[in-house]
Amino acid sequence: MAEREGAAAAEAASRHFQSIDEIQSRFAGRGYVADRMLATTMFLATSLGKPVFLEGEPGVGKTEIAKVMAEVLDTELIRLQCYEGLDSSAALYEWNYTRQLLELRLQEARGIEREQIGRNLFSEEFLLQRPLLKAIRGGSARPPVLLIDEVDRSDEEFEAFLLEVLSDFQITIPEIGTLRAERPPLVVLTSNRTREVHDALKRRCLYYWIDYPSFEKEVKILRTRLPQVELRLAGQICRFMELLRQQDFYKKPGIAETIDWARALLALGLAELDTEATNATLGCILKYKGDIEKLRQLGLDGIVTMALMPGHDPSAAPAAFG
Amino acid sequence: MGFSRALHDAGLTVNPGNLLDLCQCFEHIDITRRDDFHAAARATLVSRHEDIPRFDAVFARFWEAPESIVIRRRKEGDEEAEDQDEQTPGARLLLPSDEGGDDSPRDEPLKLAYSADEALARHDLGTLADADIERARRLIREVVKALANKRGRRHAIRRHGRRPDLRRLLRSRTYYTADGICALPFKARRINKTRLVLLCDVSGSMQRYSTFLIEFMFALRRELSDLEVAVFSTHLTVITDLLKRKGVAASLRQVADKVHDWAGGTDIGGSLRQFNERHAPRMLNGRTAVIFLSDGWDRGDANRMREEMARLRQRAQKLVWLNPLLGTPGYQPLTQGMQCALPFLDYFLPAHNVQSLSQLARTLRDIGA
Repeated sequence: MAEREGAAAAEAASRHFQSIDEIQSRFAGRGYVADRMLATTMFLATSLGKPVFLEGEPGVGKTEIAKVMAEVLDTELIRLQCYEGLDSSAALYEWNYTRQLLELRLQEARGIEREQIGRNLFSEEFLLQRPLLKAIRGGSARPPVLLIDEVDRSDEEFEAFLLEVLSDFQITIPEIGTLRAERPPLVVLTSNRTREVHDALKRRCLYYWIDYPSFEKEVKILRTRLPQVELRLAGQICRFMELLRQQDFYKKPGIAETIDWARALLALGLAELDTEATNATLGCILKYKGDIEKLRQLGLDGIVTMALMPGHDPSAAPAAFG
Repeated sequence: MGFSRALHDAGLTVNPGNLLDLCQCFEHIDITRRDDFHAAARATLVSRHEDIPRFDAVFARFWEAPESIVIRRRKEGDEEAEDQDEQTPGARLLLPSDEGGDDSPRDEPLKLAYSADEALARHDLGTLADADIERARRLIREVVKALANKRGRRHAIRRHGRRPDLRRLLRSRTYYTADGICALPFKARRINKTRLVLLCDVSGSMQRYSTFLIEFMFALRRELSDLEVAVFSTHLTVITDLLKRKGVAASLRQVADKVHDWAGGTDIGGSLRQFNERHAPRMLNGRTAVIFLSDGWDRGDANRMREEMARLRQRAQKLVWLNPLLGTPGYQPLTQGMQCALPFLDYFLPAHNVQSLSQLARTLRDIGA
């Protein structure tokens, strides 16, 4: 019991935020618009020390959260990109064999005792730290943010392995012993949902589904990221995106696409959306040939006209987005 | 906790550990703020995107008027369903109750509808002659072998190979005792079993082949641990779990029970869409082969079918279409469904009897799938 209290006290001491509002405002300061729900989840993640599992369509800002979190906490961001076949030697640690072999020859030549050589060879000096080990050993004073990106790309074996690491934040290296995280990192897992991640892993995390933003939120995000976009144009862009997302595309455009597209339109020096420019810059929004063809079939002109409708012009109520 | 009970009744499983997490959250947030509490509950208790709308609905209902929920539950809670719930606390499925007629789209895959047609359809599920079955099984085994072996990206130890396994070398004792002269351990890519997804057409036009279909499904099931089976005609129903049970006869009855549109019309496009939306993320990965068993008679929308086939194509490793009609002399794949599907297929093969299966096995071996 006493132990538990001690742990709770330690946890409280390492708490990074005082309130949910603080998260919201500090995220906003870094150009990330977080709604209250997301802020609450992140707040709980830091205070409970639990990993966050972010799921959502590509391009809605999942990875960005981890980056902003690291910036806000002023700590290191350690990123582990998942792929099929990712294994412990790429995720956790690996021995530096070439150096080990060289060292072996050297020490033999010097006539060092055999057992001693063995001990020397498997010391931390020859250990190559991979992201997970790095996050657990945590070089800096503050606990790092560990981003495990696109978990859905890894395979089941790796998921099982992650489970083990995430539950105790400790790693056993046979030659060295068990390494335990003194300050557990804040873990952010993301998934694009190309496949379902196992329940056991999700259960250990706080789950948050990032949806496409509402119109108001998207305008706000766009204006935060690209302040030079006029409110009027921003409204038209976001309106257009919203209309597009109602269509059934293979890959619907995310916020990343919105920002890219706005940037492209800015570069073209546009003050208002028009069909010609949209047509020329479609590549920023839709990334599949089939989708682009489909949009042309649907009638690009009509959608642009709808996006230009004044009823949805946010400049009508500028106070809300100021 | 009443709330978790209400969630459970709505078909959402709440893990006790997560409930504890939620309680821990209360130390950190102001639970009198409803949206914060909502966020915390959702973050801890939900772990699937599909569950969110249901969770929100239950949340809203429960915290608005907790009493009314409890009463409602008692009214509709029949003893049997309650008991089963208790026995399988981890079950995600909503067990169908006697009412069954509830048409809400949410529990559609789990829904049981009953009609007189089903009772008739049930009689069609027969068996092949014993000798044929034995042969068919042997052939299916070959087919599966041909399909299922593919090099993965992980490594396993090998005695011979191209890439030396340095890690093992340094840890092996012989290296030190024999002064650096010893056999090198090697590693090679491990063989990964392909996952198979079998989509069977059980519409009226396929009825003649239903015995064969069923044998095929069961044989595959026995050979492969990683197999998902779904049947479709106008809807798609995943029957993997039903096939897991022991005893062919018992399973058959259940399959016939569950699949209410057995021997009905065909809407391949619609069924595929259902598959792509609901099941594909869970079932498909880069090494999944999808096998269709269908004659390609389709009354659905051709465009939609083309779209969904394209989607499937992007997600699966291999698409195989087994068409029983292809064995008929002079057959041309001219049906609308076949026309839509052909451009997306890796293999288009006959499957109407045991001989055609042996050809299938040969083809697959030759191509080295």
